[in-house]
Amino acid sequence: MKIPFSWLKDHVALTATPSQIAEDLVRLGHEVEAVEMPRAAVIGVRVGQIESKQPHPDADKLSLLKVNIGEAELVDIVCGASNMGEGDKVPVATIGTSLPNGLTIKKGKIRGAVSYGMCCSEVELGLAEDSAGLLILPVDAPIGAEVGDYLELEEAVFDLSITPNRGDCMNVRGIARDLAADAGLALAAIELGEIAINQAINAPDVAVAAEKDCPAYLARSITGIKVADSPAWMQARLIQAGQRPVNGVVDVLNTIMLDLGQPMHAFDADALDGDIVVRSAVGGEAFSALDGRELTLNTDDLLVTDSSSVIALAGIMGSAPSGVSESTTNIVLESAFFRPARISETRRVYAMVSEASMRFERGVDPAMVEVAMQRATAMIIDLFGGSASEITQCGDADKINAERSVKASVSRIQSRLGIDIPVSVDDVLVRMGFAVTRDGDKLAMTVPSFRHDISIPEDISEEYARVIGFDEIPELLPSLATTAPAMPDRSVHDAVAAGFLQVINYAFISASEQRLFVAADDLDIELENPISDAMSVMRRSVWPGLLNTARYNLNRQQSGVSLVEQGRVYYKTAAAHQESNVIAWLMSGEVEQDEWFDAARKADFFDLKGAVEAWLTLRGLTGRFIADDSIQGLQAGQSAKILVGRAEAGRIGRVDGDIASALDMDAPVYVAEINLDLLSAGKKTKFAPLPEFPGVERDLVFLFERGVSSDAILNAVKSAAGKLLIGARIFDLYDGKGVPEGFVSLGIRFALQDAKRTLTQEDSDAASQSIIAAMDKKFGATLRG
Amino acid sequence: MSEIDSLKSELESLQADALQAFSAADNLNDLQKLRVQYLGKKGALTEVLKGVGKLAPTDRPMIGQHVNKTKSALAAALDSTEADLAVKAKAARIEAERVDVTLPGRSKGKGALHPVQHGLDEITAIFSQMGFVVAEGPEIEDEFHNFDALNIPAEHPARAMHDTFFVKQMADQPMLLRTHTSPVQIRAMKRFLAEGGEPPLAVVAPGRVYRCDYDVTHSPMFHQVEVFKVDRDVSMAHLKGVLKHFLSTYFEKEVEIRLRPHYFPFTEPSAEVDIGCVFCAGKGCRICKGSGWIEVLGSGMIHPKVLESVGIDSEEFSGFAFGLGVERLVMLKQGIPDLRLFFENDVRFLSRMGVSK
Ligand SMILES: [Zn+2]
Repeated sequence: MKIPFSWLKDHVALTATPSQIAEDLVRLGHEVEAVEMPRAAVIGVRVGQIESKQPHPDADKLSLLKVNIGEAELVDIVCGASNMGEGDKVPVATIGTSLPNGLTIKKGKIRGAVSYGMCCSEVELGLAEDSAGLLILPVDAPIGAEVGDYLELEEAVFDLSITPNRGDCMNVRGIARDLAADAGLALAAIELGEIAINQAINAPDVAVAAEKDCPAYLARSITGIKVADSPAWMQARLIQAGQRPVNGVVDVLNTIMLDLGQPMHAFDADALDGDIVVRSAVGGEAFSALDGRELTLNTDDLLVTDSSSVIALAGIMGSAPSGVSESTTNIVLESAFFRPARISETRRVYAMVSEASMRFERGVDPAMVEVAMQRATAMIIDLFGGSASEITQCGDADKINAERSVKASVSRIQSRLGIDIPVSVDDVLVRMGFAVTRDGDKLAMTVPSFRHDISIPEDISEEYARVIGFDEIPELLPSLATTAPAMPDRSVHDAVAAGFLQVINYAFISASEQRLFVAADDLDIELENPISDAMSVMRRSVWPGLLNTARYNLNRQQSGVSLVEQGRVYYKTAAAHQESNVIAWLMSGEVEQDEWFDAARKADFFDLKGAVEAWLTLRGLTGRFIADDSIQGLQAGQSAKILVGRAEAGRIGRVDGDIASALDMDAPVYVAEINLDLLSAGKKTKFAPLPEFPGVERDLVFLFERGVSSDAILNAVKSAAGKLLIGARIFDLYDGKGVPEGFVSLGIRFALQDAKRTLTQEDSDAASQSIIAAMDKKFGATLRG
Repeated sequence: MSEIDSLKSELESLQADALQAFSAADNLNDLQKLRVQYLGKKGALTEVLKGVGKLAPTDRPMIGQHVNKTKSALAAALDSTEADLAVKAKAARIEAERVDVTLPGRSKGKGALHPVQHGLDEITAIFSQMGFVVAEGPEIEDEFHNFDALNIPAEHPARAMHDTFFVKQMADQPMLLRTHTSPVQIRAMKRFLAEGGEPPLAVVAPGRVYRCDYDVTHSPMFHQVEVFKVDRDVSMAHLKGVLKHFLSTYFEKEVEIRLRPHYFPFTEPSAEVDIGCVFCAGKGCRICKGSGWIEVLGSGMIHPKVLESVGIDSEEFSGFAFGLGVERLVMLKQGIPDLRLFFENDVRFLSRMGVSK
């Protein structure tokens, strides 16, 4: 919310500087996003009148304007907005002007047409976050005048972010009340203005059939008005507060809302049909909102209706047909209190936010319902003529939130805050509207009707804390029980130590990416409201994210990537859903680059398998890699499931060539994934004495038929070699010259050792013979050379 | 010439020949051959000795002396030449084996932890060392844990500010991606009480959170760490003490902290926490928008309704809680200007800003 300093001063005679005020506001709990200096920021922006408007010959959306800025010659301006017409007055940034957004205006050529300035919207003037086209100035704005002077732009505007609990501060007076109380200054009385009631005018007939949702509803007729533009000072204030002037009546109501916090609504009395009824929707009713949307209403929505239609979604938005326009002459003014939760829910359902709904859902001050009505009536009659009826009043605003009191214990507040709360602070709270009585440790406070956020002792505690200032609270370290910290998870750290770069991808991917590695979608968890289709399904594999990351980097001149990611995967279960913690690797392209000692080498299956094995070893685990041709998305013959203990804990393999080439990845891509939740604690290695007697090592080279797995061969070696065997491995693999087609030469190196004696030639011969026999019998393998 | 003189001259010429041959030898192999040639069983000196038998017995001792003298002279010459050659050979080998020590060493590719991971590790470790116990919770949450138990009822305006991702109907109740790590507060307290625990309870809960908001300064997924402590007589002063200790440890220097009153439904009083700008030491710069302060996290005293929602007596116990954004702290500490860099996963960024382990 934007509050011009001068507007604050209408309510309290502040003497401090804007920056001091900003500091006070922060201490009191009102976040100051910025203290803007709008007047200084727009020097050089002048009032200009559009003399002529022609379409740009080469660009549909541009217009060529000739603008009178009070100088001898008209100024040529190329403009991209569409909401202006000949005769309109607009702010013109002349050449050399620096705007708040950092733009400096220069003579420029746009699609061949020369432009000597720029027509501005509120955004360019730094007055609003967004706008619908140029800011059209009142017709009486003096041509050539500095816009900053004409709009009486304030020297300082506070841009505040009001927390949702402080509905009472979504207006100038609420902020002024806090500042006045804090500084010990008086809050000015509200000027109601004189109203001569015309008894000849019938007050509107109103019935409230939903008293819980609408405990107070005031309505009044004003007839015979002539709607004109609101006065320049009012338009200037609205613009500085970030709002766009609409028409005289609406501007008055918006000004009062910003000033006092009470949103009001004006209906065109001639568009209404019969009595006004405030009631809950029956469901299925149609509503044409002022913003152009056509809604079908739900049961329980709170409505303002006449005999034939819904004239407002209460507290949120009026209907289009019943709105006030320049031609309106008779109006019905509404000022009410709607139940915050009701407004909040309806607003949420239709995603329809308005300045009014933001205030109603946070709770307005019941005491302002009638004050605002009187003030608005006086201002409208003063500015636009007409005469007013009596007020029709339903419900009693005085009873809303009345006489609520909270009891608290001084010592408990002090213990929770860690500071004393001196009696002197009570005065500040009294100025803020509380009644305070202390009786020893007992504290009783009566809460003002506008403070919807205060109901428990902790709320009182916060009031004291913010008045005293959080800075006064000391910094104390609590005594903490010493607990042995759990061993942190080192999964990803170990992979990083092995040379992998850790990446973090979003947990949601596209449905088509999901299908790359998980065939069926029945367990997919989809988002109701994704950012985009590319981020619409919770991932069931980390691989799609890794693939994207790999592609991204390989497209950026990386010759190879070794990536690791740890995170969750998500899927439905019969009962609910499951989140599993997984670690996944990807290798593609060069794992070894060209070096002075060696040539570059691209990653293959065994680079990644080695990394996974080493990672398992670090946790005291071993994996068994079982060839599996049926893993979705992996290439048959280069894919395996990984068994750890009894659990099928992971998968590894080469990404299917079609998938890789669809991603323009030329080098083979290898991926692995292990479900961390399925890993058991690794074996703790027990001590064994070091061998005293030397062992022997022998090599045997066999010809095997292609297709025999080395796992099976080594298992056979182990069972054949006898109990002296301490290790066996494949040390050579060759299928080149000299090896017959369909065969492969495998070198097996095995080692024997005995704890009690030195082994002899006979020992190794015996083992060799058993192995040779076993290889022949099991695999038909013959000893080579 | 007598026999003896002839033998003498023979010995002398043998010695002269040998010494010349020794000095001509340029490797240990040749020298070894010469040793055999002159001093071996069948060597030249042995040949000369054969002639001694022809001498008169009285002359034999004298010639014997000569032979021995020659033998030891040759042996000494051999030894010294050998030593010289060994030194030369070693020097030659060293020269031959000389390498360019400035060439790069052989190494595997360098891995690095993602900077966010490193931040999570650092933050968690600081609290762990202070006695906070690490806890985790699900990322797909129900509305009770994410909102209701945290005193954010359905119609509360704060609920709308959370930009919640909802999950398509899958269980008997609406599910969402948690918008903060605060639900772990509820789950950790419930689990602790269910296991028969009684405060004090101090927990640090790191994790991923999700908001339906995606632009230059917002990522739909980011990381938070929730920290809370419940005990008798926990006060805001303790909150400030823990914050000061944590932030000073994390930023590796004494940082000023400032608490500003704020509003969170699950804490009362609530405070936004600023630190003195780490870039300009509080003088005011572009990063802190000239204020000298940078907002880093939200905090407060746990709302009594939150304690009561899990069955903790709020009269007897109180607690503080805060939640911090990991990316934000990492950006501040490492001077990373753009949130999007974290999830772009450009390996050049990760290698440079990531941390090797
Ligand atoms: Zn700074």
